[in-house]
Amino acid sequence: MKGIIGTLRRGYAGLNDAMVPQDDNRSEIAIKRKRFRVILLLGIFFSAVMFLISISISSGGIIPLSDALTSLISAVSKGGNGLNTEELYIFQSRLPRTVAAIGVGAGLAIAGCMFQALIRNPLVDPYITGVSSGAGCMAIAVVVMGISLSALSDYSNYIIPLAAIIGGLLAFGITLSVAEGAGGSATNYILAGTIVGFAFTSIQTIFLSLEKDNLTNVMWWLYGSFANITWENAFLVLIPALAISIIAMFWAREFNLFMTGEDQANQLGLNVRRFKAVMMVVASVLTSICVAFVGVIGFVGLVIPHACRMLLGGDHRLIMPASIVLGACLMLFADLVARVVIAPLEIPVGAVTALIGTPVFAYMLIRRGRDYDG
Amino acid sequence: MTDDSLLRIRDLRISFGDFEALHGIDLDIPKGLLVGLIGPNGCGKSTMMKCISKLHKTWTGEISIDGDSTRDMRPIDIAKMVANVPAEPPQMFGTTLMDLVMLGRYPFVNKVWWESPEDEKAVREALQVFGLDHYRRKQVSLLSSGEKQRALIAKAYVQQPKLMLVDEPTSHLDMKYKLEVMEYLQNMARSDMTVMVAEHDISLMARYCDICIIMKKGSIVTVGDPKKVITEDLIREIYEVDARVGLDLDGEIYVLPKRYIRG
Repeated sequence: MKGIIGTLRRGYAGLNDAMVPQDDNRSEIAIKRKRFRVILLLGIFFSAVMFLISISISSGGIIPLSDALTSLISAVSKGGNGLNTEELYIFQSRLPRTVAAIGVGAGLAIAGCMFQALIRNPLVDPYITGVSSGAGCMAIAVVVMGISLSALSDYSNYIIPLAAIIGGLLAFGITLSVAEGAGGSATNYILAGTIVGFAFTSIQTIFLSLEKDNLTNVMWWLYGSFANITWENAFLVLIPALAISIIAMFWAREFNLFMTGEDQANQLGLNVRRFKAVMMVVASVLTSICVAFVGVIGFVGLVIPHACRMLLGGDHRLIMPASIVLGACLMLFADLVARVVIAPLEIPVGAVTALIGTPVFAYMLIRRGRDYDG
Repeated sequence: MTDDSLLRIRDLRISFGDFEALHGIDLDIPKGLLVGLIGPNGCGKSTMMKCISKLHKTWTGEISIDGDSTRDMRPIDIAKMVANVPAEPPQMFGTTLMDLVMLGRYPFVNKVWWESPEDEKAVREALQVFGLDHYRRKQVSLLSSGEKQRALIAKAYVQQPKLMLVDEPTSHLDMKYKLEVMEYLQNMARSDMTVMVAEHDISLMARYCDICIIMKKGSIVTVGDPKKVITEDLIREIYEVDARVGLDLDGEIYVLPKRYIRG
C-alpha cells in the first residue's frame, strides 16, 4: 500500500512544479511537454474506462465490461440495424447520452476555464454572461406559449434546444453590448452579465407562474439531464463542443498572458480587446450548445478549471487539456450516478455534479488552498 | 534630435473627456540612461508612460523610439522595443515564477505553443541575473514583495527592450529591497538599455538616476541632472511643501519634507 501511495505521489510530483525539487536542472519546457503527453494519455485512458463503465451500468443492471465492449463493437459494426436486445439497449439508450455527457462535460469545463482567465476572477463560471438565464427563459417561453407549429413537427426535438441557443446568445449579446458600452473591463462584464441574468430569470419566473401545470417537458431542462438525448442531438452536442474546446486550446499561451492583466497583456503585444471579445463569443457559443440540449448543469464549469490549476499549476497549455478530460470524466460519472442511484427514477445531473464535486474540491482547497492565490 | 536619442516626444497631448492630462510634452531621452520621472500624484507620469507604450491610444503628437514613430506600430512591434513594469504584481492563480518571466518572451515566440530552448535559456539567465533562479518553480503568490518586484523586472528584461518603463517599483518595499531594485535598474541602464522610472521617493531618484524629469499638472517643469534640478524651491513649486534639500557625507542628495504649505 505504501508503495502504491509513494508511486502516486511521485507521479503527481511530476505533474506539478511546486512538487519538483528546485535543484532539478531539467529543461522546464521539456518537463511541460512531457506533462502534456501524460495528461493526454491518462485522459484518454480514464475517459475510455469511464465510457465503458457508463455503458455497462444502468438502472436495469450491470453488464460485465467485456460484454459491454463486445456489444458496443457489434452494434456499431452493424450500423445500428438488426441488433439483439442488449446491443439495442446500449446503442439506442446508453451510448447517445454517454457521448453527449463527454461533449457537455468537456465543453462546460473549458468554457469555465476560458471565462475565469478572461475575467481573472475565480468565482466566474460559464454562465457569467447570462447565457443560462437567456437559454432557460427562451426554452420555457417555447413550452409555455405552446410553440409547436405543425410544419415543424418533424423537428419538435429541436425546438427547445434551438430556442435555448437563441436565448443564450441573445442574453450574451445584450451583456456584450452593455459591458463594451461601459468600457469593456472584466468587472463590466461581470456586472452586465449579472443584471442581464437577473432580467432573463425574472421573465422566466413570470412564464413559470403563468403556466405551472404544463412544465414537465421543461423541468428536466431547468435542472439538467441527459435523459432526452437521442443519437441526432448527441452528435450535435459532441462535435461542436469538442471541436470548439480543442480549437480554443491553440490560444492557451494567450490565456496565460491574459492572467497578467489586460495592460500587461496589451503591452506584451496581444490585441486584448479583440482577443477578449472573440474568446467571450466562443465560450458563450460553447456554453449555449451545452445548455441547449441538456439544460443548466452547474459546478463543472466553476470547479474543474480550479481543480486543474491546483493539480497542475497556472499554465493553460496544461490546464485546458486537463479540464477537457476531467470535465468529461466527471460528467460521465455524474450521469451514471443520476440514472442509477434511485432507479428507475432519475435525479438531476446538475445536483449530482455538485454533490460529488463539493467534498472533493473542499479537500483539495484545504490541502492546496494556501499555495493558491485565488 | 541628437544622434544618441532613444526616445523622442513632440507635442504629446491626451484628454479624457474634457480633461487634458498632458499639455504638449516635448522630450528627448538619450540611450543608456536611468531616467527618473518625478511629480505629485496625478501630474501625468503614468499617463505619459502609457502613451509611450501605447496602452493609451488616443494621444496626439509624435512619439518615436530609436527613430521609428510608434503611431502606426502594431502592439507586437512595440513590445519588441518597450517593456512595461507595473506597480502592482498581478494576481495569478497557481502560476510559477518561471511561467511569469517566460511571458516576457511572448513577442518573440513564433511557435504556437511551446517556447524554444533559446527562450528558456534567456529566461534562466535573467533569473540568475536577478537572483531568482532558485525560486523558479515557486508560485508567484508565495513570493515576497521584493521577489515579486524583481520577477516583474526580470519579465521586462527578457523582452530585451530598448526602453523599459517602470511604474513605482519601490512603493511596497522596505529599505533593503528599494536599494536592491534601484541597483538592478541602474545596472540595466549601464548595459545600454534606457530605463524610465516613475517614483515618489525623490532622494532615491536623486541618488540613482542620471537625469530627472520633473512634472506638474500634465507639463514638464524641468529636465536635468538631479543634483542641479532638485532644489528646495522646486519642491515647493511642484509639491507645495517646504523641504530641506542637502548633500549627505557621501555627497548624495537627500530630500527631507518639513511641512506642507496650506493653500
